[in-house]
Amino acid sequence: MSSLGGERKVSASLSRSIRGTTPRLADLASTPESPRTPLLRSTSSLFGSPGGSFRTEDEYVVLEIGSRFVRGGFPGESTPRCTLSFGLEEQRRMGDYRQWDPEYGHKRRKRKRGEEWGQDYELYRLDLAQVDLGLVEDKFERAMREAYNKYFLLDTKPRRILLALPPKMPHSLMSTILDVLFGSFQAPSIMLMSSPVLSTVAAGLRSALVVDIGWAETLVTAVSEYREVHERRTTRAAKLLSEEMAKLLNAALANDVEDGSPKADVSFEEADEVLTRVGWCKSKPKSNRNTLYFPARTSPILEEFEDAVESPEPSVTIPFTRNTPPTEITVPFASLAKPAETSLFAPGTALNEFDDDELPLHHLIYRALLSLPMDVRRLCMSRIIITGGVSALPGLKTRILAEVEALVQQKGWDPVRSYGSASARHEQVLRQQREIFELRRQEGEDKVSESLDPDAPLPAGLQDPEEDAIDAKLAHLALRNGAPPSCSIGGTIRGVETLGAWAGASLVAQQRIRGIVEIERERYLQHGLQGANREKEVSVVPQRQSMGPGVVRGAGERASWTLGVWA
Amino acid sequence: MAQPFPYTYYACDCYDSNNTTSSKRASQILAAAEEEDRTFDPRSPRSNYSLYPLEHLLYCEDCQQIRCPRCVLEETLNWYCPSCLFEVPSSVVKSDGNRCTRNCYNCPICTSPMTVNSLDTSNDNGPPYILACPYCHWSTVEIGIEFEKHTGISSQLARIANGGKPIPTQKERDKERERRKELGSRKRDGRDVLSHSEDSPSTDTERDDPPPSHDDVFSNLGAFYKAQIEAQTPSNPFSPHDITFSSPSAYNRIMNLYSNTSSKRNKRQKPAPMREAASLIEGLTVHNPSADAAAIERIKKEGWAATLSPAQKLTQINPNIRFESDLRPIATLLCTKRSKRCRSCRHILSKPESKITSTRYKIKLLALNHIPRLSIRALPSTATMPPPPSSSTQQPQFNYNALNSGIPTHFLLHLSNPLFDPIRVTLATPSTTPGKVQSRVTILCPQFEVGANTDVWDDALSSSLSPIKRGSIINADGQIEAGKIWDRGRNWTSVVIEVVPGFLKPVAGFGQQVDGADGEEELGEDEDVLEIPVFVRIEFEADVNAEERGLGDARGSKGERERREEAFWTVVGVGKIAGM
Repeated sequence: MSSLGGERKVSASLSRSIRGTTPRLADLASTPESPRTPLLRSTSSLFGSPGGSFRTEDEYVVLEIGSRFVRGGFPGESTPRCTLSFGLEEQRRMGDYRQWDPEYGHKRRKRKRGEEWGQDYELYRLDLAQVDLGLVEDKFERAMREAYNKYFLLDTKPRRILLALPPKMPHSLMSTILDVLFGSFQAPSIMLMSSPVLSTVAAGLRSALVVDIGWAETLVTAVSEYREVHERRTTRAAKLLSEEMAKLLNAALANDVEDGSPKADVSFEEADEVLTRVGWCKSKPKSNRNTLYFPARTSPILEEFEDAVESPEPSVTIPFTRNTPPTEITVPFASLAKPAETSLFAPGTALNEFDDDELPLHHLIYRALLSLPMDVRRLCMSRIIITGGVSALPGLKTRILAEVEALVQQKGWDPVRSYGSASARHEQVLRQQREIFELRRQEGEDKVSESLDPDAPLPAGLQDPEEDAIDAKLAHLALRNGAPPSCSIGGTIRGVETLGAWAGASLVAQQRIRGIVEIERERYLQHGLQGANREKEVSVVPQRQSMGPGVVRGAGERASWTLGVWA
Repeated sequence: MAQPFPYTYYACDCYDSNNTTSSKRASQILAAAEEEDRTFDPRSPRSNYSLYPLEHLLYCEDCQQIRCPRCVLEETLNWYCPSCLFEVPSSVVKSDGNRCTRNCYNCPICTSPMTVNSLDTSNDNGPPYILACPYCHWSTVEIGIEFEKHTGISSQLARIANGGKPIPTQKERDKERERRKELGSRKRDGRDVLSHSEDSPSTDTERDDPPPSHDDVFSNLGAFYKAQIEAQTPSNPFSPHDITFSSPSAYNRIMNLYSNTSSKRNKRQKPAPMREAASLIEGLTVHNPSADAAAIERIKKEGWAATLSPAQKLTQINPNIRFESDLRPIATLLCTKRSKRCRSCRHILSKPESKITSTRYKIKLLALNHIPRLSIRALPSTATMPPPPSSSTQQPQFNYNALNSGIPTHFLLHLSNPLFDPIRVTLATPSTTPGKVQSRVTILCPQFEVGANTDVWDDALSSSLSPIKRGSIINADGQIEAGKIWDRGRNWTSVVIEVVPGFLKPVAGFGQQVDGADGEEELGEDEDVLEIPVFVRIEFEADVNAEERGLGDARGSKGERERREEAFWTVVGVGKIAGM
């Protein structure tokens, strides 16, 4: 028994393997190479029978917090129970029923002075200098109260919370949110998970490039084996897009009304509604890239989709009931794709004119891929997940993928871009590569005829390698037992659909996987976020404890807690 | 605001106590400290979260404080459907979710309750049945759904997809997944034997399938992760599932535990790391451009009317839809009866009767019964001003929606006392209202007393409390004299407040600079509303309440009384200032 104990100790210190505890994402990432010794649950005393008592039913509520919406629901469900927004109507005083006034629906709201586009509709923004955290707390508290009272309908038993957050968040904002959840909703513990990782989970992947086109900014996160490895962001996101749409509608309305009447100023709701209803994005990039060289085989397909002028030009009639007088305007269908074009891709601007934080999406994705290590890049580039509210815009995903593909074709994976003579060399190298590629392909097709000619020996580089019987056998074995070959696909640009971060969180909670960041209520109330361990990684395997019958600490309890990526 | 003028809002204290949370940054704490002696600003966006009509507030008798919905804890007593008033047991809520599982549905277009109608043209109301909206005439015919029975709609609806195709249940899904997996593995085995065979045609047929629904993908993913995790942790000797020693595998494991040699060999086996999903049946969906193109084509063809508004989308169970043909009728959300406890002392503040159809309460501690009600109304101008001769005979209704800028107007602040003890009241208000439009406010008599809420008949029987002569507070010039109350009754007192409504636009010659840019600016929503923050402080002597008296009994006197005071901010909405 003593030797067994010694071995157990060694194994515990060697690595954090899985051994009977509920698995964690990070554990799944590492291959457990250590022996699997059984873990004696510390709650069950040495002489008691195992089982029964220690599996406390941990029930979760799954929340996802974004800057404009909060989603909430229960694990194992495919859609959230509620999606709550932070519009003007949600911010009214109690007992203010003006939104039910039939006249009110026809009035257009004006933007307040000095207020940014859509500021009233945000829960928070990352620039905390402009944020009243008290107001954030008020808004969030009211939304959560609605979620609990109207949609969750829970009994009195307190529930743990699985909280999906963006991976970078100011600590004061986080503690505002945690204050509400711990204080007003009595959560015994809150588990934080970052939304790109959860989006990856909801796509069924382990590594991915997650492009989250959110409200204020687009966040490109490279996730490798369930860990964030790289992150880039740009301000080209929903806010810019809807502002651009409002400009378009204002121009269309100004054309419509006769002179003399006051200039129309479309409200946020109207622009948002038009965008979500009839907004779209051209799924093929414009062909004015003269420098772009497509391989001979693919170019005709791309050229085929030139903007064929349709006669009559299709158009969409948009009602404006809030306008005075209520009106309808007819907008050419093609123009409804322009806001997405200008705000997300900015095709007319040279690359050097962009500031660091406003790169167009495809360039941002390309640069993120470029800065990844080669093997991670190989995995990520064929697992591009586009998510976030704007990604529902029809045509946008196709467009982004096509643009990225074109960029890769054009530039390859060379971080050196335009450096005088270097660029010429670059072109040359690319062309050479392409020629070799073409040559190979042609050879592949003509192989039969060539092999008929025994006199000309193939160069060594083009010869088929000798087949190793053992290699073949191993490959067979791997095929039968291991992952199917499609799991290791890489090296090409490919988009993968995800169900979204909330669904990922729901899946994670359903499988009872515990995250790295788990905050206990008592500890949080004592120290706040300051109580977190400075280390980013905390051993998630419970430390071995003496097995005496007096041990009563819960199995799940940890000595310290960390903030992980949020630290 | 949207309440008809004039109105009164009460501010709950939790607003103040929230101001000094530990989470604030240092600069904000400083700012908060400065704010200590500042007046309540009804224009600040935070005030919307702390102001309530008096009727919405509760009162904790132990903490002697107002309790707003924010500072109570709520406990659900029972669940019911507001449409059919059927009480749903908590186990059903847990298993079937937060919606009515009977025939209650709301229209996805206009949210009004739907009715079950028969499509049968003969008069006996036979099948097929549909759900139809009596308000906007939307019906399930538009999404191609008809029902065979007129009862159990939700179970029928759960089995029909839009267009009439059946939806597989969870069990059927699992079975189908197993079948496909087997098919796939057999194919793979076959390929192993045949070494390199071409893709069988079955993969092509799979591609022709319509894109899987959100639910399908989710259940596929869930099953995939479950299988992977089970493959990861097979040897959990104390897992509650295989604790029995009857199964040979469990026995084997136990033996392995205690025999060193065999266990070492076994432990060398590395389990493969969890892999990612590889195919559609495992939940992997590769982006498909044709779906995008189809959606664009559809918008182009069908235009605005076929798409959904954001509100309509959000009320759907699955909000990731775009077109009208994807709508589903919405099952009615259940409602709950909840009891409320004070957050700090956990005493129950309100508890309804558990019977669904009863609206009575077992416990109900309303602020209405503990806090004086403050209200405002316009002072009939005959008494206040030198009456204009023409209008004196017929008094026009005072128009609260058009207050005249710059003209002093008198209002009556009316304070009624629900307590059984007389109270002494001190009112305070900032001399100018906060916000862009600054109005000057003066309470002519800020300190006064209000009688106790005694028996109604006392008023009639006692003749001592005669009404004050109006003439006495109007002096010779027709001005109202400061420091005197206007009127008083059994448990109420009213005082006069003088308001000079401000100017919506800066006017030259009134001490304000007419700035070009400023003058151009339009007023935002509600900025022309005249709201006066009034601080109310009441003092009274009350019986020592039961618990404390119990302690005090040892020392003696039973009829001991204690001084109490309460203070709170209120906001009085007077009216709208008319533009000039």
